[in-house]
Amino acid sequence: MTAASDTQSAVQPAYRRRDLTGIAVILGIAAIGYFLFPNNLALLTRILAIALLVLSLDLVTGFCGVATLGHAALFGAGAYAAGMAAAHWGITDPIAMVVVGAIGGAAAGLLSGVIILRGHGLSQLVLSIAVIHLFHEAANKASAYTGGSDGLAGISPDPLFGLFAFDLWGRTAYGFGVALLVIVFVLLRILVRSPFGMLCRGIREDPVRVGAMGGSVRGTLVKMYVISGAVAGVGGALNAISTQVVGLDSLSFTTSAEALVMLVLGGTGSLYGALLGTAVFMWFEDVVSAANPFHWLTMVGALLIAVVLFAPRGLFGTAALLLDRLKERRR
Amino acid sequence: MQTIFSVAVDALAYGMVLFVISIGLSVTMGLMRVVNLAHGAFAMIGGYIASYAASDLGLGYGVAMLIAVIGTIVIAVPIERLLYRRIYGAPELTQVLMTIGITFCVIGIANYVFGPTLKTIPLPDTLRGPVDLGFRSIAAHRLFAIACGAVVAVALWFLLERTPFGVKVRATVDNAAMAASLGVRTRIIYAVSFAVAVGLAAFGGIVGAELLPIEPYYALRYMVTFLVVVSVGGAGSIPGALLACLVLGGIDTTGRYLVPEYGEFFFYLAVIAIVWIFPHGLLGRAK
Amino acid sequence: MKALLLAATAVLAFCGSAYADTIKVGVVGPFSGPFAIQGKNFKAGIDAYMALNGSKVGADDIEIIYRDVPTPDPAQAKALAQELVVKEGVQYLTGFYFTPDAMAVTPLLEQANVPLVIMNAATSAIVTKSPLVVRTSFTLWQTSAPMAKVASERGIKKVITVVSDYGPGVDSETAFKKTFEAAGGTVVESIRMPLSTNDFSPIMQRVKDSGAATVFAFLPSGPTTLGFVKAYNENGLKEAGIQFLAPGDLTQESDLPALGDAAIGLTTTFHYAVSHVSPENKTFVEAARKAIGNPAELSFPAVGAYDGMHVIYKMIEATGGKQDAQKAVDAVKGLAWESPRGPVSIDAESRHITQNIYLREVAKAEDGTYYNKEIATFEKQTDPGLAASK
Repeated sequence: MTAASDTQSAVQPAYRRRDLTGIAVILGIAAIGYFLFPNNLALLTRILAIALLVLSLDLVTGFCGVATLGHAALFGAGAYAAGMAAAHWGITDPIAMVVVGAIGGAAAGLLSGVIILRGHGLSQLVLSIAVIHLFHEAANKASAYTGGSDGLAGISPDPLFGLFAFDLWGRTAYGFGVALLVIVFVLLRILVRSPFGMLCRGIREDPVRVGAMGGSVRGTLVKMYVISGAVAGVGGALNAISTQVVGLDSLSFTTSAEALVMLVLGGTGSLYGALLGTAVFMWFEDVVSAANPFHWLTMVGALLIAVVLFAPRGLFGTAALLLDRLKERRR
Repeated sequence: MQTIFSVAVDALAYGMVLFVISIGLSVTMGLMRVVNLAHGAFAMIGGYIASYAASDLGLGYGVAMLIAVIGTIVIAVPIERLLYRRIYGAPELTQVLMTIGITFCVIGIANYVFGPTLKTIPLPDTLRGPVDLGFRSIAAHRLFAIACGAVVAVALWFLLERTPFGVKVRATVDNAAMAASLGVRTRIIYAVSFAVAVGLAAFGGIVGAELLPIEPYYALRYMVTFLVVVSVGGAGSIPGALLACLVLGGIDTTGRYLVPEYGEFFFYLAVIAIVWIFPHGLLGRAK
Repeated sequence: MKALLLAATAVLAFCGSAYADTIKVGVVGPFSGPFAIQGKNFKAGIDAYMALNGSKVGADDIEIIYRDVPTPDPAQAKALAQELVVKEGVQYLTGFYFTPDAMAVTPLLEQANVPLVIMNAATSAIVTKSPLVVRTSFTLWQTSAPMAKVASERGIKKVITVVSDYGPGVDSETAFKKTFEAAGGTVVESIRMPLSTNDFSPIMQRVKDSGAATVFAFLPSGPTTLGFVKAYNENGLKEAGIQFLAPGDLTQESDLPALGDAAIGLTTTFHYAVSHVSPENKTFVEAARKAIGNPAELSFPAVGAYDGMHVIYKMIEATGGKQDAQKAVDAVKGLAWESPRGPVSIDAESRHITQNIYLREVAKAEDGTYYNKEIATFEKQTDPGLAASK
C-alpha cells in the first residue's frame, strides 16, 4: 500500500495512458460486440446494466473490503426509482430517468450503508442479507406503486434526444448503455485514484491504522456507499429503460449473489476485473443455457470451480499476474 | 394462555429443526473458517439418499438414515480432498465462489438424476401420528427433531470440549502452524472435521425433511436461513448456534402468528437488531 | 447504419422466406431452477402435440426453440424474446410461466409482428396489454371464483382465506372473497403470508383462533404447498373438521405423491385434472407421459402447452406460413375445439380461453396412487377477472 502511494505521483502520466487504453479497449469491444452480434443487442445491453452493478459492488467490496450479499438493493432502488418516475410521474426523458435512478440508488446506498457498516465479516454479510430481504419485501408490499410481484409495467421512455427511439432491435439502448458505462468508468477511475479512493483502500488494508491517523473510517465508507449506490442506480435505470419493465428480481438476494460471483470471477479490487467478470459470466450463461436450457447450471458451477482452481485471483487478476511475469522474464 | 404455550411449542420445534440442519455449517464456518455455501447441498444429498433408501429400497427409517449419513460422507471425502483443500485459508470471497460452484453442480446433477419433483422420506409409524401434550397435539416427528437437536448439541459440545480430538481441533483452529509443529496432523484434523460437518448436514437434512422438503433447489433455497442462523449465533459456538436458533425460531414463529402479513419484516428487523447489539454474534468470540 | 441494413435485410429475407420450409416457434419458460417441473411440463405438452399431429403444417416444418428463465425475471425474459425474434427469426412466441415475464414481452409484439401464445401466466390483465396476446391456460379468477360458489352452495357461512403474498395469491384471495361475499358469505379474516414461509404451524394456530370452519388457501406448488398441507394435518385442523378449499394449483399431480395421505379429501376447483375422463385426454396423457419420462411428473402446464400448440398450428394454417401476427390472432378468435380438459374456445374479445372448471377432491386410486377426482363441472367459464378489474 505504502509503496503504491510513494510511486503514485511519479507514474501519473503512465496511469493516464493506461486509462486511455482502457477506454479504447472498452469502446473497441463494445463496437466489436455491436457488429459481431447485431441480433443480440438485448443481451449485450443487459450485460452493460449488470456491469454497472458489479462495478458499484467492486467499489465497496474490492476497494473498501466490505463483504455484502445485498448489493442489488441499490440496483433495484435505482431501477424502481426510474421506473416509477416514468410510469407514475411522467418523467420519461431517458437522461432524466437515469438521474432519478442515480438519486434513488444513492439514497438506498446511504440507508444500507449505515446498516451494513455496523457489522464486520460474517455479521456484515448477515446484515446485508437482512437489508436485501427488507427491500424486496417492501417493494412487494408497496404493490400500488411497484406492481408487486407482477412487475412494474408501463414504462415507455421517450426517444433519446428526441431522435432515437428505444425499439425492438435495441440499438439505441445499447448505444446509450455503452455511453453510460464509459462515462461512469472514467469517473470511477478518477475516483479510485483520488485521495478519497486511496483512503478507502487504506481502510481495507487496516481500518485501525486509518482511524488512528485521524481518518473517519465509518464516514468515508458511508460516502463510498452513497457513490456506489449512484453507480448501481444508473445501472438499474438503464435496465428499466431498456426492458421497460422492473421486476422484484432486481431487488433479490439472487441478483446480489450473482453480482458478487461475477465480481470475484473477474477479480476484486480492479474495475477491469469487474467488467471482465460480468461479461464472461453472462456470456457463458447465455451460451450454455441456450445450448441446453434444462441442465446448464452444472456447467456454470464447473466454470466457477475451475476459476478458483486455475485462476485464484480471478480472471483479470490472474491474467495481469501472468502478464507481469512474462514482462519480467523478457527483461 | 393456552395460545402462548401453543405458539411457544411451535417455536421450540422450529428452532430445534433449524439447529439440527445448520449446526454442521457452524462447524465448517467457525472451526474450519470456510464459508461453506454448499452446506445445503450436502444436506440435500443426505435427504435424497435417505429418500431413495426408504421409499425405493423399502429400508427402515433408521437404516436409511445411517446409509444416508455414511453415503454423504463418502461422497464428500473426495470433494474435500480435491476441492476444499485448495480453499482452506483462502480469502472468503474465493471460498464463496468455489462453494457456490459446487452447489450449482450438485443442483444440476440432482435435477438430472432425481427429477424436479419433491421427495419425501417415509416416517416410521411411531413418528407419524400426533402426540397429545395435554393442551394441544403436536406431530411426533417434531418431538423427535427436538430430541435430535438436544442430542446433537450435547454430543458435539462433548466432542469439542472434552475429548483429545476436540483439543486438537481447537488448537488447529487457533494456530494451524503451531499445532502442526506440536505434532498435530492438521490435514487429518481438517478432513475429520469436514466429515463431521457433512455428516451433520446430512443428518439435519433428513430430520428436517418434514419441514424443508427435499427437491433439487433445496441447496439454494434455504442457504440464506442457514447462514443467518449460524452467523447470528456466532460461528463455531455450539451454545451460540443453539441460542440463535431458539431466539430466531421464536421470533419467526411469534411474528408469523401475530402479524403474518409482515412476517418477513419482523424476522429480518429482529436479525438487524440482534447483530446491531451483538456484532460478533450472540456468543461469538471477537477476533 | 450497417447494422440497420443487416437487420433490414434480415427482415426482408424473412418475409421473402414466407413460403419456405421452416417456421420457428420460441418457447420461454422455467426449464431449470426451482420451477423446473413446470418447464418440463411445457416441453411434454409441446412434444405430445407434435407427436400426435406431426411436426409439419402444410408444407412447412415446425421448429421449437427453448429458452430458459428459471425464476421471474422480466429483463431476462425480454432479452431472450428479443433474441428469439431478431436473431433466431421465430414467428411465434409462446410458453411463459410467470406473469412479469409475459408482461415484459408484450410491448415487443407489434413491432416484431409476432403473436404471443401464453401457456400459463395467470394474471387477468396480460391479455389487455397487447392485441397480439392469446392465452390457453387459465386465470386465478377463473379457477378461484367457482370455489366460492361451491362454498355457498354447501351452506358454508364463514371462511378464513390464507394466501401467499404475491400477485397470484392476492388475485386468488380477491376472486374468492368478492364472489363469496356476493353470495352472502363472510370472510372473517384474510391472511397473506410471505412467500418464504417454511413453518406453517403459527398460521394454523391463527386459523383455529379465527373460529371459521373453512379455510380457503392459495400457495405456489412445491415445498410451500407440502409444508402447508402437512401443517394442516399435523395441527389437528383436519381432525377438527375444518374444511380445506383451494384452487387446483395446490393439488397439482406432480406434488401428490409427496403429499400422500395428507392430501386426501382436499377440495379444489381447476381447469384440468390428469385423471379427466375423455378419449381426447386419454390420447394426450399417453403421449405426454411418454414425452416427460416419469409419469408422476405430468400436470396442468402440459395441457396449457398442448392447447397452445394447437392454437399456433391453427394460426400457421390460417396465414399459410406467412408472418402476419394480426391475421394469425384474428384467425383463432372464437376458435373452438375439444381439448384434453374438455370443450374450450378462445373468447373473441378477450383472447382468453373459455373452458369448463371442475370441482375435484383428492382420492386414492386402487393402485395406491393419488389423483384429483372430478365431482362437478362448471361449464363454459370465461375470465371474471377482466370484468372485475374494469
